[in-house]
Amino acid sequence: MSGETSASESRSRRPTEAEMEDMTPDQLATLAAELDDVVVVQNLPKFPVAGTRAEKRAERAVAGWFLLSGLFAAVFVVAYIAWPYEYKAPSEPGYQMYALYTPVIGATFGLSVLLLGIGVIAYVKKFFPDEVSVQQRHDGRSDEVDRRTVLAQLAKAGQDTTIARRGLIKRSLGLASGVFGLGVGALALGGLIRNPWEGGKHAALWVTGWAPDHGEKVGTGYEKVYLRRDTGALGEEIIEKGIDGIRVRPEDLDAASMETVFPFRMSDLKDPKKLDHVLKESDTPVMLIRLRPGEQVTLRSGQEDFHYGDYYAFSKVCTHLGCPTSLYEAQTNRILCPCHQSQFLATEYAKPIFGPATRSLPELPITVDDEGYFVARGDFNEAVGPGFWERKS
Amino acid sequence: MTTTTPRRHTAALRSRIAARAPQSLRTSSKLRRRIAGALALSLALLSAGVLYTAFAPRPQIAIAQDDSQLVAQGQQVFNNHCISCHGANLQGVTDRGPSLIGVGSAATYFQVATGRMPLARQEAQAIRKAPLHDLDPKTGDGARNIDALSAFVQANGGGPTPPLEKGEALRGSDPARGGQLFRLNCASCHNFTGRGGALSSGKFAPHLDESTEEQIYTAMLSGPQNMPHFSDRQVSPEEKKDIIAYVTSVTDGNNNPGGHPLGGFGPVSEGLIAFLVGIGAMVGIAVWLGAKA
Repeated sequence: MSGETSASESRSRRPTEAEMEDMTPDQLATLAAELDDVVVVQNLPKFPVAGTRAEKRAERAVAGWFLLSGLFAAVFVVAYIAWPYEYKAPSEPGYQMYALYTPVIGATFGLSVLLLGIGVIAYVKKFFPDEVSVQQRHDGRSDEVDRRTVLAQLAKAGQDTTIARRGLIKRSLGLASGVFGLGVGALALGGLIRNPWEGGKHAALWVTGWAPDHGEKVGTGYEKVYLRRDTGALGEEIIEKGIDGIRVRPEDLDAASMETVFPFRMSDLKDPKKLDHVLKESDTPVMLIRLRPGEQVTLRSGQEDFHYGDYYAFSKVCTHLGCPTSLYEAQTNRILCPCHQSQFLATEYAKPIFGPATRSLPELPITVDDEGYFVARGDFNEAVGPGFWERKS
Repeated sequence: MTTTTPRRHTAALRSRIAARAPQSLRTSSKLRRRIAGALALSLALLSAGVLYTAFAPRPQIAIAQDDSQLVAQGQQVFNNHCISCHGANLQGVTDRGPSLIGVGSAATYFQVATGRMPLARQEAQAIRKAPLHDLDPKTGDGARNIDALSAFVQANGGGPTPPLEKGEALRGSDPARGGQLFRLNCASCHNFTGRGGALSSGKFAPHLDESTEEQIYTAMLSGPQNMPHFSDRQVSPEEKKDIIAYVTSVTDGNNNPGGHPLGGFGPVSEGLIAFLVGIGAMVGIAVWLGAKA
């Protein structure tokens, strides 16, 4: 109640144009508070007498924080430009300086920001006046007159636009904004939508980079698909220096070994980007495992001739959720997936023996060509990786 | 002296016949026949000699340097420390230890120098521990004993041998390539900064902080326990050295520009610490500012 009366009072006490002309800035500020129903109970300046030593000391302290902040910012800029940032191995000279690069950059930048903040807070605490103000709280809903008039005003504004009668405009506007919305949605989501079924039987769901028809045609068939080793060399280096050591041979691996291999075709040498891309395709990595001679091996029916001697090639993509299952234990011949601890037995066609995976790792049919290099005899005979709707097995 | 007289007689007789021959039998056909006979004989002798040198078996001894003394010392070390599990002829003992025939000196060096062998007890896998005093590679005696034991095992079936270089000479010049190869071949078990990780049934890949260059190299060559082998044809010696350069540059708190490795296993610990320390500090400062106002 008191709020309402004071509000009406303050409204009634609104000054005229002439009165405002005569008011000082201080009086105008007080008036602003009064119009908002705020009463300043106390406003004591921190330093009532200007120019005392205490005031100067406080001023210097605040300025000190700001200057220190500026100093660290300057050190940051200098360190960012001039500090040795290029990699040094621990044994090389200059390693200590290199190792300090990140801490120095971080510390100077962080201190600069922190000191700026401390300076602002110190200024507020040291110089802002001690003020106690009271503002009246307005309880309940708005004044009945206000409520009714505002609603009537809005309704009339709407009526004046005649939108209620303009069906054609309403529908065409709705159509336009709807189509525009669809466009924005397509723009945002379009990039995320891929059609995994595109290509029917040759869709990316079913085939991998090992499929022969990914290469060029040679005579009646397709070119050879070699098993390629990643030596850390980029495609351009391989094209420049030749393919020595890139293709895997049966004598390369000792017994109880594992190597990750990728498909390689001679036509890949035309394009360095393709050579690099093959190593990054998610469904092509294959573990080429050489078992110890004389291991008891169970072959899967239909895949009896997929291996070459002690060499077995299994997909590296876990059949549970697609993690790389590359933790090959050479003594137990288990292949462990680090994500959910699925274990596959290499001596039993990579059959799952523990964990959530339910399907064996697909096996790549391999053999050795007349030059003594490993080649793939075709793609996997089933889809690689985790299950999906259309998969029957 | 008595044996020389008959020889002199025959020699004198021959020279007399030879001296007489040109006078009585001087026909060109006879001379030609003699020369041809002598030539045929010397040719036959020569070819027999050549054939002999070509086909004669090379002597089996004296091809290696004489390390029989080292091998004998190694056998002594073997008898002291290894025989109860690996057997008197390195054939292995059922349920105790495997055969060592053909494992080579690289495996011997790795297992003994890291303290894994002699084994303390049978469990999921042998763990690194302080080596026995007389098998400690840091002492002169220990290093000699390991050399001798390695030579003994090498003499029984051969196998991969440790590199000739030692220490820092085994660090390659390209740790960046080494890092790439490490992430491809090793990081799946040992983590990308060599922190190690779990395997199945209580086994694990150890962290690489304490591993020396020789130990990393011999481990790659010999594939200790469940680690696969990485032969020199699969990962060349230069690539192995680059891998060693990478491992020594990231393990044991090295290559640590942030000031603290936070365990060295990436965003899990880093995010947790940033959240706890960062948010905690900000809440604390906010509370402090509010309390002072």
